Amino acid sequence: MNTVYIDTHFKKLVLGLLKDGKLVDKKELLSNKHSENTVRLLQELLNDNKLAAKDIEQVIVINGPGSFTGVRIGVVVAKVMGYTRNIKIKAISYLQALDLEYNRDITLGISDKNGVFGGSFNSRHELLKDYFYLSFDEIKKSNLDITILDDKDVDMELIFKYLEDKEEVNPHVLKPLYVKRIDVAND
Amino acid sequence: MDVFILAIESSCDETSIAIVKNGKEVISLVIASQMDTHALYGGVVPEIASRMHTEAITMVLDEALKKANMTIDEMSAIAVTYKPGLTGSLMVGIEAAKTIALMYDKPLIGVNHLIGHIYANNIDDKMEFPMLALIVSGGHTELLVMEDDYKFLKLGETLDDAIGECFDKVARVLGLKYPGGPNVERLAKTGNCTYDLPQPVMDNTYNFSYSGLKSAVINLVHNSKQRGEEIRKCDLACSFQSVAIDELKRKVEKAFLETGIKRLVIAGGVSANGYLKEEMQKLCDKYDAKLLIPKLLYCTDNAAMIGAAAYPLYLKGEFSDFSLNASSVGDI
Repeated sequence: MNTVYIDTHFKKLVLGLLKDGKLVDKKELLSNKHSENTVRLLQELLNDNKLAAKDIEQVIVINGPGSFTGVRIGVVVAKVMGYTRNIKIKAISYLQALDLEYNRDITLGISDKNGVFGGSFNSRHELLKDYFYLSFDEIKKSNLDITILDDKDVDMELIFKYLEDKEEVNPHVLKPLYVKRIDVAND
Repeated sequence: MDVFILAIESSCDETSIAIVKNGKEVISLVIASQMDTHALYGGVVPEIASRMHTEAITMVLDEALKKANMTIDEMSAIAVTYKPGLTGSLMVGIEAAKTIALMYDKPLIGVNHLIGHIYANNIDDKMEFPMLALIVSGGHTELLVMEDDYKFLKLGETLDDAIGECFDKVARVLGLKYPGGPNVERLAKTGNCTYDLPQPVMDNTYNFSYSGLKSAVINLVHNSKQRGEEIRKCDLACSFQSVAIDELKRKVEKAFLETGIKRLVIAGGVSANGYLKEEMQKLCDKYDAKLLIPKLLYCTDNAAMIGAAAYPLYLKGEFSDFSLNASSVGDI
C-alpha cells in the first residue's frame, strides 16, 4: 500500500512515500515558498518511484499548527487528493506527531516568531486539553513545564503505525488546525 | 473536438468553480460567496477569506461536477486565477488546481483575473477585434485596446484609486452596508444630482483619477456633520455616481474619436452598475459602436470567465507548470 506523507506546516516542506508502512522515499526543502514547491515535489516523488495517482491509497497530512498559509497548502492538497481520487486521508497535528516518541505524560511546544504552540498528551498520546498558543512572555510568566522542540524531524513510520487504526477524515471536512487567534482589524 | 475546461476562481471572497465548453458555453457554474461573513467586518478580511476558501473548495468542486454531470477525466485542462488578488485566497485555488492537474495528468492554465473579466464577454456572445476594453472593478480602472486574443495595448489607467474602491468608500461614509457599490447605485436612483462635486482633472491623457472625488464626498459629509446639517444621501449618491461615470465616458469617447474603433467591452465588478450600462449605451449609440457587457452573473467574480479566458491559451498550448504561484499584482 502506497502512502504519501505531506508536511507544509512550517519552513521545512517534507514529503514522504511509504510502502506498507516503510519509508521508501523522501523529499525535503527548506523554503518560504511551499506554494511553488509542494505539488511540483509531489510530482517528482511520484515520478521517481514510477507511481501514478491511482497507485496512492492513503495520504497522511500534518494539519497544523504552524504558519497559517503553510498549513493550508498541505491541507488543500490532501483534501483534493482525497476527493478527486478517493484516497484515504489521515490527519495528525505536528505536536501529536512529535509526542509519539514520548511514552509518558508531557507538554510539548513548537515556537514561531512570537510565541509557542503547545499541547499536553498522556502516555497513550491522547491530547489532554485543547491546544494552546502563548506568547514568549506568557510562557515565561507561567510555571508551565513545557518541552520545546524546534526543527525536529518526526518519524513518519511511527506516525503511519499510530494512525493505522484511526478513522479516516472526509475530504470535505478536513481543515487546518490553526490554534492561534487572529486579530480582525478593519478600518 | 470540444474543449472542456474546469476553471477555479478564489481571488477574493467567492470560491467559484465552473466547467466551460469551447470558451463560451457554461456547462456548470458554482459560486460560494463569503459576502455575509465579511459584511460583519465592513470589508473583506484576508485571513478569513483564505480559511473559508479552504473549507469550501472540495464541496464547490463536487457541486460543479455534479451539476455538469461530468468527471474530471473528461476535462481538457484545469484553469485557475493566479493574479491579481489576495495571495492567501488565490493560493487555495492554485493548490487545488495543481493537485487536480497532477491527479489526472491534465494541463494547467494560469489565468489573469482581469483578463478573465474581459473574456466574460465571450460567454453567450462573441468578442470581435479590434475593440476597446474598459476594466472597472474594486482594484482596477483601465482602458485598453485589444487587437486580437491576448493582444493588449494599455491606453490608460487610474493614477490613484480604482472606481470600485471609490464606490465602496463613499458607501461607507454614507453609512451603507458592504458591498457598497450596488447600495450606492440603489440609493442614487431615488435622488437627484444636486450636489456640486469636482470633476476629476481634465487632462489630455487616458488616465483616470478618483481620489479627489472620493475626498470631496468624504469632506462634504464630515463638514455637514460638524455644522449639524442633514445630508441628502440619495442626492449625494446620485451626484457622486454621475461624476464618477462621467469620467469613464469622457475617456471612452476620446478613444472612440482617436482610434476609430467601433467596439467596446466593459468588464469587472462595476460593470454590474445599471447607470453605467445606460450611459455607455448612449455613448455607443452616438458613435455607432457596439457595446458588450456580460450578463450580471458574469460581471462579478466567477469561474466561468476564467474558463473563457483560458480557452485561447489552451488552443495556443500556453500551459503553466506546477511552480505557478499567486501574485497580488497582475498587470495585463
